[in-house]
Amino acid sequence: MSEEGKHANAGRSGLQRLVQAVSNQIARHSSSLLLFMVFCVVVAVGAFMIGDLHTATVQVQRMYAGSVQGLRQIGELQYEAQETRRSTLYALTTNDSNLQVEYADQSRGADRLVTDGIAQYLIGARMPREVEVGRRLQQDWAAYLKVRDEVLASILEGSTKEAVDLDLSGGVPSFDRVRQDLEEVKRLYDEQASEQLTVVDASSRRSVLRLVGVLCFTLLFASASVWAIQRSKMLSALKLAKMQMDFVASVSHELRTPLAVICASAQNIADGVVDEKEQLAKYGSVIRHHSRQLTELVNQILLFASTHEGRNRYVLRPLQASAIIESVLTNTRELAEEAGFVVEQNIEPDLPPVMGDFSAVCQCLQNLVLNAVKYGGSHPSIAIRAFRGKAEGQHPAEVRISVEDHGIGIDSAELQQIFEPFYRSPVVTAAQIHGTGLGLPLAKGIAEAMGGRISVVSKVGVGSRFTLHLPAGQTVESEKAALHRVAQL
Amino acid sequence: MHRLLGMLTMVGAAVLLLEVSPGAARGGPPPASTTAAEQNLAIIVNQANAVDDISLKELRMVFLGERSHWPNGRRITLVMMDPGLAERKAVLRDICRMNENEFSRHFLQGLFTGEVFVSPKTLSSATGVRKFVFNVPGAIGYVRASDVDATVKVIRVNGHGVDDPDYPLRIEARASK
Repeated sequence: MSEEGKHANAGRSGLQRLVQAVSNQIARHSSSLLLFMVFCVVVAVGAFMIGDLHTATVQVQRMYAGSVQGLRQIGELQYEAQETRRSTLYALTTNDSNLQVEYADQSRGADRLVTDGIAQYLIGARMPREVEVGRRLQQDWAAYLKVRDEVLASILEGSTKEAVDLDLSGGVPSFDRVRQDLEEVKRLYDEQASEQLTVVDASSRRSVLRLVGVLCFTLLFASASVWAIQRSKMLSALKLAKMQMDFVASVSHELRTPLAVICASAQNIADGVVDEKEQLAKYGSVIRHHSRQLTELVNQILLFASTHEGRNRYVLRPLQASAIIESVLTNTRELAEEAGFVVEQNIEPDLPPVMGDFSAVCQCLQNLVLNAVKYGGSHPSIAIRAFRGKAEGQHPAEVRISVEDHGIGIDSAELQQIFEPFYRSPVVTAAQIHGTGLGLPLAKGIAEAMGGRISVVSKVGVGSRFTLHLPAGQTVESEKAALHRVAQL
Repeated sequence: MHRLLGMLTMVGAAVLLLEVSPGAARGGPPPASTTAAEQNLAIIVNQANAVDDISLKELRMVFLGERSHWPNGRRITLVMMDPGLAERKAVLRDICRMNENEFSRHFLQGLFTGEVFVSPKTLSSATGVRKFVFNVPGAIGYVRASDVDATVKVIRVNGHGVDDPDYPLRIEARASK
């Protein structure tokens, strides 16, 4: 394979790992993520709809304030203008000076309203055409008022004919101009109202379309979310079922092999095939070895079950790391030697004691050592180190015991999964390395039950280092706190 | 007999009271005060009228209809108040120097002979007079000094303002508000 091909394969492999890691994270928190996304979408849709409704309301308000109200004001102006003229003409119908003065007064009252209305219109006028019409109306109204004053004066003086002549020659044409101006203003308002109505109509249609679109989207999104959540649950259930089936198969296999050996040995002895003392001793040794193996397996399963259900109650006391390591090495020496492993130990001097249950800590560490033997690959060496760990963040001062091998290593995408019960890496399954998938979950459960934890650093093809972190038991207070924590568990 | 005499005395007193207080008889508000200035009779013209001062003689000609136009050419319109009112009595006494009958006869005769050019308009209240003068550029009328407002213009008579002690036109105290 060329260099470029290798690089491309490496890139693809990295990308696949990344995608797998992301997929794992999504699968782990799928329900929460989807619910959060649905919540975000609903909030965004709500905000969008509120904004849209607000815009529509503002447009309607503008239409009312700008056009409908304007039309009403123009209607009032038209009425008052007519009233101005009507009152003037009423004054012509009587010779009573008192009544004539009253009519003149009414006419002036009405004309003031019109003058004010026109001024208001001009203040509110924005478009050039509005301003032009407003100014023309103002001029024409002033011209009419000038004639009206002359007419009123003539009426009050008693010169009825002169008043009529003045009104016909000047009043009627100027008032017609005013009426036309007012009609034009009204037409402008009508046009504006029509335009605004078109805008509001379009906005309303747009809002409805958006609403339908957004509702459809929300419905689809919610359906997709529900489907995804259901699928995620189903996949989880299938995965769990598969792991359980694998576990059953694995346990059956683990049970069957020693049982077959024991049965065969017992059959040979029963059939009298073996009668010499040395041979009998050898057969007895084989039966004992496999019986112990079976017992260990059954114990591990029971221990996991009890740890998982929280039935274990550990008695914590200060322990020396050297004693723990010594015990573990004694228990695993035979197995390690059979597999040809060399175990190197390095214990930092003056280590403080750790708080823990001796047999539980030994069991935990033993699982790590057995894993190191099982997955140690072609480099049969294991290093066990005990050293002081500094307090980090929420973790208090601690003692760390690490077990390091130079075996097949673990893919970074699997580092979280290896602590899940019944999980077995496809790599080790393919390599026909037998196991139950309970060793690491069991070790993790024990460590956490004692206020500790397990961390792992691994690289494929290089090896793995599992570290057991246990709280240091230096002070009485920390001892009490650990006891309290365990009591709570 | 004594009872009849008493009733006549009461009727006479009531008539006297009506004459003294025409405003009260018409149901108007009671006077706020009766200072000397309020008893003066103000001659009012339209705000557009350029005349500021007029002699008593000219005023007499105007009020008797013997003068038809102002110096600016505008026709004079004379505004009088209803007969019996104190303001009218003061005008007849101090300006026209006539009683009601002589005044009426003067205008009837003058209009018939053509010596009088304008017939006076008659209004029933000071407010009416003010509004009339406000509406008609050539109008001239009269109101109490206290009834004057910014819609009309008060002109001086014989060079005296309405507040001057020597102002010649006064309403009789017994006929004042």
